[in-house]
Amino acid sequence: MGERLLTVDGLSTHFFTHAGVVKAVNGVSFTLDRNETLGIVGESGSGKTVAALSLMRLVPDPPGKLVEGSLMLGERDLRQLSDAEMRQVRGNDIAMIFQDPMTSLNPVVKVGKQIAEAITLHQDKSKSEAWTMATELLRRVGIPDADKRVSQYPFEFSGGMRQRAMIAMAISCNPDILIADEPTTALDVTIQAQIIEVIEEMQQQYDSGVILITHDLGVVAEIADKVMVMYGGRTVEYGGIDEIFYNPHHPYTWGLLGSLPRLDEAEKTRLTPIKGQPPDLIALPAGCPFVGRCLYERPECRDGWPALEIVGPAHGVNCWIPETERRDIRAALPHFQAYVR
Amino acid sequence: MSLLEVKGLKKHFPIKTGVLKRTTGHVYAVDGIDFTVEKGETLGLVGESGCGKSTTGRAVLRLIPPTAGTIMFEGVDVMAASRSQMQALRRDMQVIFQDPYASLNPRMRVRDIVGESLKIHNIGTQAERKKRVFELLETVGLSTEHAERYPHEFSGGQRQRIGIARALALNPKLIICDEPVSALDVSIRAQVINLLEDLQDEFDLTYLFIAHDLSVVKHTSDRVAVMYLGKIVEISDSAVLYSRPQHPYTEALLSAVPIPDPTAERARRRIILEGDVPSPANPPSGCVFHPRCPRAQEICTTAMPALASTGGDAGKRHEVACYFPARFTGEVRTVSDTPFEAALPGSDD
Repeated sequence: MGERLLTVDGLSTHFFTHAGVVKAVNGVSFTLDRNETLGIVGESGSGKTVAALSLMRLVPDPPGKLVEGSLMLGERDLRQLSDAEMRQVRGNDIAMIFQDPMTSLNPVVKVGKQIAEAITLHQDKSKSEAWTMATELLRRVGIPDADKRVSQYPFEFSGGMRQRAMIAMAISCNPDILIADEPTTALDVTIQAQIIEVIEEMQQQYDSGVILITHDLGVVAEIADKVMVMYGGRTVEYGGIDEIFYNPHHPYTWGLLGSLPRLDEAEKTRLTPIKGQPPDLIALPAGCPFVGRCLYERPECRDGWPALEIVGPAHGVNCWIPETERRDIRAALPHFQAYVR
Repeated sequence: MSLLEVKGLKKHFPIKTGVLKRTTGHVYAVDGIDFTVEKGETLGLVGESGCGKSTTGRAVLRLIPPTAGTIMFEGVDVMAASRSQMQALRRDMQVIFQDPYASLNPRMRVRDIVGESLKIHNIGTQAERKKRVFELLETVGLSTEHAERYPHEFSGGQRQRIGIARALALNPKLIICDEPVSALDVSIRAQVINLLEDLQDEFDLTYLFIAHDLSVVKHTSDRVAVMYLGKIVEISDSAVLYSRPQHPYTEALLSAVPIPDPTAERARRRIILEGDVPSPANPPSGCVFHPRCPRAQEICTTAMPALASTGGDAGKRHEVACYFPARFTGEVRTVSDTPFEAALPGSDD
């Protein structure tokens, strides 16, 4: 792996609402290297999007507030930057692709102009130079007839092409870090395959680090190098891609893997879902957010958040169950057999 | 006799433009499809957005009138049914919708939502209906105290359970599940899939399972029909379809689905289709898939191939609509280089 691009330590972002404090992200830490893809996995409300928005300092304040933690982009502390400096960071150093390409593009501005705008804001280019670059970028992300498409409006693009245009905009200033927030969730599978290919190509071409936020463990298995599993605003487990799939240590990770129907399963096996509902982020339990749904709960789980336990190289888990016991429980899980190699 | 038999089903939506609302074209949402659903089985209907799978489900229920074709439910022609016959038919055919937020009336209590159909069909006294609603709620894993609440008090997964309870109220024979788990999170999705499977065993239900997620369809269905641009391109036993797809679109679709297993992912070869699905208002001539097909030949541009059997037992036949389907001899896969005779138009008449 290449140079360290990003170090996030103990990040907490809370929303102060009338109904109470929503603890969307609670003490999350991770790093990202050049040429590396980090997958952040979790269900709705697990805090994965807020974690990414906090990195970009795009959490609306009020009600949101980055209450704790440090965000180091190389040597720079992102929390210390002024708003103007932060605007330079966005686009130049970190760029983001959002889930819904229709609502993130301006419907009344030509696609080319939207891309050119990002270029002229960050680079010393004339309008016509920026326009030429926009055409070139569209061609690079695989849009046919880029010369024509550049002067069209977003409604004339299909969903997949809009997402390609978003990628073109994100890479226009050659950022070190590309954050993709559910980039393929709104797309059909054949288009999803195209978009993932474009993201991988762009990563290789620009040597960037990619943070991929998704609920789809299949997409993660396809392109991530390492994975962070989030639940109720906390990181419950992180590790290399093989570690998470073949040597998972947290009961929530087991639950996620057991909930997935697999396309390549030879015969039909019954899914093992996680019981219950996700927690209310306003009334999070004092201890582990997974209590109540965890099948292996013990008294200490309710009282406090367990310390990070290192279970392998670059593989950590936060769980009260002792490691030896975890291995025994896991060995007995029916669905886990599919993952044992 | 099959429980449901659909023949030559077409649904064309007119495109109206101008002040006079003149019809200037049609969206060929469903364009001539045939399939049967046997009692007790689950037929999966899979395809990408705009392929006509939901329209098919709605047309089968006669929620929208089909342009052409026949739909036979237990030997009764659904299209020709009178109002009173239709009311009886509706007891046997129910539907579960995709969006658990939009499909429940926010102003109705759960007991009224679940019990509404009992009331409409004049079943039982008020006390009996109440008892039945409680029973249904327990069947789908909710508790009786939920009966007095409104939909907004529930999470997505619980709402979908309410929708399922509503569909079960009249003891239907066929339930059309239109993307029942697409809006749900992974862990909740597995709960609902297991619930649907349990209910099928318990009440001897037949499902027409419409979804875009191939892993879910593979898991839940006995047979799968793959749709593309208003046509069924391949239909077969689910295990066979996934291990030995014959239509190039099915192959590409299957290869595009990521598998949550890094080792398996590294070993796979992905077929990436060029471009987007064409507009159903202006479908390509000949085989609808030919502009994106890696195997397309000249014959493919002339006429849509017929859905023809390539073997298998009756009722479990593997049918494909392609001139050049993949053939499997033993474990070796070859592509037939001569046009597939049975797929030639006119050969099935």
